[in-house]
Amino acid sequence: MRRLFSGHRIYTTVAGMLLCALAIAPTANCQADTQWVLEQSTLTYHVSHPMHQMDGISHAARGKGTCNAGQCYFLIAAAVNSFDSGDSNRDLHMVQVTRGAQFPLVVVRTRVPEVPPVSGTNFVDLQVEFAGQTITYKHVPIQETVNGSEVKIIGTVPATCSDFKIDRPSFLTIPISNEIPVKIDMTWRAVK
Amino acid sequence: MSGVPLRTGACRASILVEGRNLNSNAIGRLLRPILLCCCVAVAPVISAGQSPEPITALTELPSAPEPQLAQATNSSGSQNQNQQKPEPQSEQQPANAPSLGDLGFTPEQTKPNAQLQAMLDKRTHMLKIHQRLGIITTIPMLAALITGPMAHAKGRNGQTIIEPTQANLDFHAALGGATTALYVSTAYFAIFAPKVPGVQRRGAIRLHRALAFVHGPGMIATPLLGAMAFKQEKAGEKVHGIASAHGAVAWATALAYGAAIVSVSWPIRVHF
Repeated sequence: MRRLFSGHRIYTTVAGMLLCALAIAPTANCQADTQWVLEQSTLTYHVSHPMHQMDGISHAARGKGTCNAGQCYFLIAAAVNSFDSGDSNRDLHMVQVTRGAQFPLVVVRTRVPEVPPVSGTNFVDLQVEFAGQTITYKHVPIQETVNGSEVKIIGTVPATCSDFKIDRPSFLTIPISNEIPVKIDMTWRAVK
Repeated sequence: MSGVPLRTGACRASILVEGRNLNSNAIGRLLRPILLCCCVAVAPVISAGQSPEPITALTELPSAPEPQLAQATNSSGSQNQNQQKPEPQSEQQPANAPSLGDLGFTPEQTKPNAQLQAMLDKRTHMLKIHQRLGIITTIPMLAALITGPMAHAKGRNGQTIIEPTQANLDFHAALGGATTALYVSTAYFAIFAPKVPGVQRRGAIRLHRALAFVHGPGMIATPLLGAMAFKQEKAGEKVHGIASAHGAVAWATALAYGAAIVSVSWPIRVHF
C-alpha cells in the first residue's frame, strides 16, 4: 500500500509537471523574433560656409530591425544621390566629392538591447559606412517618442568631412566647415 | 508486486487487465521514458519562457565583440579618431542581423560605377576652372566699364568736342579684348564639361544657364560694336549709328553677367 501510495504520488507529480509544461510552452513560443520596419524618414545633412548655409534632405532611406535573444540589430541605408539640396548642380557635386558613384549608399548599423521602447533620451553606438569609410560614433543621443506600435526617433550624427576623408569644397577660395552634421528623423513600426 | 517484465505491447495490454498493483508498475515503467522525453523536450522552452528577468540576465552577459573599426566618440567636445576601412563590415555582423538585400535595393542602386565617378570628377574639375575664370573675368570687365567713358568723345552739337586720348582708347580696347578672351575661356569649360545623363536640372542653376543666353550674345555684340566705334573715333568722327549702342550693350551684358554669378551664390549671408 505504501509503495502504491508513493507510486501514485509520483505519477500525479509528473503528470502535473507535464501539464504545466504544456501550459507554459505556448507562452514561451509567443516570444518570437520582433521585426521593426522603417515607416518614414527624413535625413538632413548641413553644410556651413561663412557666406552660405545649405541643407540636403533625403526621404528615401530604408531600414529594418531584427530582435532576437535580447539584442536588436538595426540597418538603415539611403542612396547618396537621393539627397536634395534644391540645386541639381550642387547635388551632383556632392555626389562627386563624396565618391557617391563608387559608394552609392550610406549605411548605418546599430545594436541595442531588446527592451520595451519608452519615450525619452537614449544613447546608441552607430556604425556609419559612407564614402568608402566606416566610422563608429559612440554614445550618440537620440530622442525616442513611443506612439502605440510606432517609435519616433530624432537625433544628430556628428559627422565630419575629415572622418570620411572628404575633400572640403570651397566657395570663393574659402572651404566649407569640417562639420557636416546629419539630422535623422525616423518613425519605426513593430512587425511581429 | 514488482519486476514484471514488459515484453511486448500485447503483454502490456494483458498486464493492464490484471490487478492494480500490476497495472501501476506497468504503467510506471511505460510512462517513465515517455515523461523523461517530454521533460527534456520542454525544458528549453520552459526556461526561455519562464526567465523572470530576461533583460537583466542578458545585460549581465558580456557584450558581443565590437567590430574592428575606427572609434569616433560623440560630438560633445571629444575628438574623432579615424581609421581607414574601405570594406563594409558585413562579415562581422551576426547571422540574424538584417542585410542590404532585405531593404529592397536594386543591384543598380548598390553596385559601384567607376565610369560615372570618373565622369563626375572630370565634370567637377572643369566647372571649378569655369568658376575661377568667371570670377577673374569680372576684373577686366569692370575695368572696361570704368574706362569706357574716358574713351568716349564728350560734347554735344554746338559745343567743343573733347576727343579721347589715344592712350585711353587703347587702354579701353585692351581691357575689352582681355574681357572677351577670358569670357570665351570661361564659357568653354562650362559648355564642354561632361553632362550626366538622366539628371533634371533644378534650382538656381537653371537661372544661371538662362542668363547665359543674355550675356553670351552681349559679349559677342559688345566687342563688335566697340570695334566699329573705335574705328569711327580714330577717323575723327563722332560715334554714330549702331556703334553708338556699344556702351548700352556693354552695360546690359555686364549686368546679366553679374546676375549669373549671384544666381549660383545666393543666398549670401556673411557671418564668421
